[in-house]
Amino acid sequence: MSSPRTDLAPGFRPPNKKMEEKPVTPLGELGPQVEAQRERIRKLFESGAGARETLRQLCELADGTIRKVFGELLRVRGTPAQGMSLLALGGYGREMLFPYSDLDLLFLFGTEKAEEEFRPLISEFSRTLWDLGFRVSSAGRTLDECKQIEESNAEFHLAMLDRRFLDGDGQLFERLDAKVLSGPEKTARPLLLSEVQRLTRERLTRYGNTIFHLEPNVKEAPGGLRDYHATLWMRQLAGDRRDPRISPLNEDELTRNAVDFLSGIRCFLHHSNARNDNTLTYELQAEAAERSLGIDDNLRRNAAEWMRLYFRHARTLNRQLLRYMEQRQTVALTLRQRLMNAMPGAKIEGSGKPYTLRDGLLELTNELAFADRQATYAMLADSARTGVPLSRDAERGIAYIMVHPELPQKNTRITWPALSEILGGDYPSLALRPMHRLGLLTEALPEFRNIDSLVVRDFYHRYTVDEHSLRAIEHLQELAAPPDARGAHFAPLWRTAERRDLLIFSLLLHDVGKGMPVESHVAGSLQALETAADRLKLTPEEKSEVHFLIEHHLDMSATVQRRDIFDPSTVSGFAATVGSHERLQHLCLLTYADIHAVNPEALTPWKSEMLWQLFVATSNHFSRTVDRDRLHVSDEALLLEQVHQQTATGAKEEIARFLEGFPRRYLAVHSPEEIALHFALYQKLGAQPVQTNLKERHHAFELTLLSADRPALFAAISGVLAAWGMNIVKADAFANSAGVVLDTFHFVDMHRTLELNPTEHARFQQSIADVVNGKQPLEPLMKGRLAAALARPPKVMFRTSVQFDDNSSDHSTLMEVVTQDRPGLLYEVGSALARQGCNIDVALIDTEGQKAIDVFYLTAQGAKLTPQKKELLREVLEATLG
Amino acid sequence: MMKIEAIIQPSRFESVKDALLEIGIDGMTVTEVRGHGRQKGHTEVYRGREYTVDLLPKIKLELVLPDNLVNRAVETILKSAKTGKIGDGKIFLSRIEEAIRIRNEERGENAL
Repeated sequence: MSSPRTDLAPGFRPPNKKMEEKPVTPLGELGPQVEAQRERIRKLFESGAGARETLRQLCELADGTIRKVFGELLRVRGTPAQGMSLLALGGYGREMLFPYSDLDLLFLFGTEKAEEEFRPLISEFSRTLWDLGFRVSSAGRTLDECKQIEESNAEFHLAMLDRRFLDGDGQLFERLDAKVLSGPEKTARPLLLSEVQRLTRERLTRYGNTIFHLEPNVKEAPGGLRDYHATLWMRQLAGDRRDPRISPLNEDELTRNAVDFLSGIRCFLHHSNARNDNTLTYELQAEAAERSLGIDDNLRRNAAEWMRLYFRHARTLNRQLLRYMEQRQTVALTLRQRLMNAMPGAKIEGSGKPYTLRDGLLELTNELAFADRQATYAMLADSARTGVPLSRDAERGIAYIMVHPELPQKNTRITWPALSEILGGDYPSLALRPMHRLGLLTEALPEFRNIDSLVVRDFYHRYTVDEHSLRAIEHLQELAAPPDARGAHFAPLWRTAERRDLLIFSLLLHDVGKGMPVESHVAGSLQALETAADRLKLTPEEKSEVHFLIEHHLDMSATVQRRDIFDPSTVSGFAATVGSHERLQHLCLLTYADIHAVNPEALTPWKSEMLWQLFVATSNHFSRTVDRDRLHVSDEALLLEQVHQQTATGAKEEIARFLEGFPRRYLAVHSPEEIALHFALYQKLGAQPVQTNLKERHHAFELTLLSADRPALFAAISGVLAAWGMNIVKADAFANSAGVVLDTFHFVDMHRTLELNPTEHARFQQSIADVVNGKQPLEPLMKGRLAAALARPPKVMFRTSVQFDDNSSDHSTLMEVVTQDRPGLLYEVGSALARQGCNIDVALIDTEGQKAIDVFYLTAQGAKLTPQKKELLREVLEATLG
Repeated sequence: MMKIEAIIQPSRFESVKDALLEIGIDGMTVTEVRGHGRQKGHTEVYRGREYTVDLLPKIKLELVLPDNLVNRAVETILKSAKTGKIGDGKIFLSRIEEAIRIRNEERGENAL
């Protein structure tokens, strides 16, 4: 027999009728006595007795009562207890009995015959205990039945690990303990261990794998007492091997304190609710804080401060559990899994690194090296880049080194490039989570301390503010492979976001104001940004981007929910606030993540769709109005002043002539400093008709070119870039009223020509100027390079789509080409347009993975394209691009 | 007792809710829904892909009220949900036979 027996199932409560028929008279006085004892223990606890003492007394009360009832029943029946033992299991077996916990009992029988004989006594026993106010959860087993340990009854055998003899046949219990179970329990250790892990994983998942719930369940939620019990089981099943590392943070003491603190709360909850309800509600948090529950330092704390203590203890228990979960992995990896694990390792292995990849986790190889934070941050950046997590032991090792009194810590002040590398990776939360647990996040970003474990009460949020922020980052990270349909639209936005580091940085800071004494949390967060940006030395552009995202982090959500997003005036108003497609992309991702992280149900498919609709409408608004919204300097006194201040030479009138007539988008994508630089180039056009500026920008290059407009200019520049092996990821081309063209190309240096040969910068720019000026033909330059590049087949194929729109501009035709990105694509499109006599007024070039999205505002002979011209262009482009 | 089901523009929800609160109605069930009546959807093209929005987002409010409050509630919803444009939504009324509060088993209008 292997399945659990249900004849004495948990929760069984015989009807009172039988009790009336045959009362257990000698026990009649026991009821008031037990009740009085319970009341005494409750008062003792309320007067400040520790949880351990309270649990001990409750356990003694239960033990004593059980023995009295059991003994009296045996006496009345004149039956000796031979062949039957009474055992305490589970929490009661561990002597952790809370005021309203179930009493887990096992009736152990030597034989089936004994079971039959004792059956009436057991019924009476259970009934009596129920009437005395104990919630009995009992089971019956013979010795033979106990031998069978199988998957289907693993939970019973896990409870058996905490067995404790209560009464009855002591020899029978000894037989069970020393002979019957010693073999099977040893053999079944791997099974039981994997069952503990499975049950634990399921439990943690049920609670979102976080300790940071606003109203946590102190027993079942991550960081609750169940974490401690699961850790004990895993230790026991693993042969109780103690970790030999001597840590100045005495883990056992931390654990003891955490268990005492949480046990105290659980006692308090049981007494307050008068039932086995372990949810620490807002109201009870306030009451616990008022009573300084679990604290003996005589410091008054408000509910939020008291909850921070709760989370600190919960983190201790949860961290210990997770480390054991990781160490006790019993599942053997398949060859394929081992190969997959090894793949990121190849990118991580490097000479001299004090860490390595083992079993799919980053492990320390030279702990002492981690006294230098640069090593820690390099490891975290590797983790964020490759998706390989740190092992819990590695985390523990770093924690150990961080507080080691004989190892002075070096480079504790993180630099922005180091932080940016971590935040800009594909897996930022893999680094941010351990940073948070180790206290490195608040060291790197002290502003984050404002929301560390902070409970802010509202009807919507389920997690503490720090957990909400980290979850938001995780939701973005998941967009690499969206787990459900809600993220599908947003995945390409995440994959193509240019400055993920700034986006993630904004998410870390967007709610820190909630922990500051300010009227509006947004104002507080912006204040925090000021100090963080100064300390980390962000550039003005970077700071401005983060400032925008924090300041407007609620705007998109508010527009979606409170405005009619199908009304063009709503869209144009929102677009005016956002300013550019790049910012829209960042804001949309931030909004998606922010809503998603409120609680698992907050981002409904309905909201996700609305958010997407607003994004699409605003994005299209940008590309369709760029030619219409032109800059008139007479309305831009402030801008003029800002640019003037940045320029070394040049009167305001000259600056005004330069700016007049550029699309307003020009202002949205360039800062006053950049505009001043463009103006400086403009001033030199008289001496050299083609002016260029090249600068490296965050893993890419940016080329700015100014020139008087001329035929096939855009095609010529694109051609030179392609000839040098540069992959254009983004570009725009604007012209002012005077016909000065300003083109900006963002490209990736595929062959690292410019990166490895700084002397080539000048030759590269000269090459562009020569081709544009007609001093050097383009075709010979392109020949070899394009043939080699085109030989490589694309990974994903897109069909070319060419759309025209005559309504977006008063004087030009909008043409949108969506096609397969490939080397020389812009050159081909630009050349085709030039051959058809089309002039490019504005160009907006973007890529999304292997898809190119090019928008051109075109005129032919100074007017919109005729229907015949459009048809011809479509044919030519579709034939050329495929 | 009557049940009011109002399908309204999401952008009008806050105004409708506030207006109902002002006349003392604070209990309602709110559902995010999609649908269309005469106001048909439309198609957006984004980066070469067509996105057809044939079911438009709406908010559905459900309220069960004693008879004496129904007219006032309907007027309030009409006034606060109206923009005058197509797609403002609809209000449906139906009679309710019984209401029971689960907590204490109160019945009828006392349970509302």
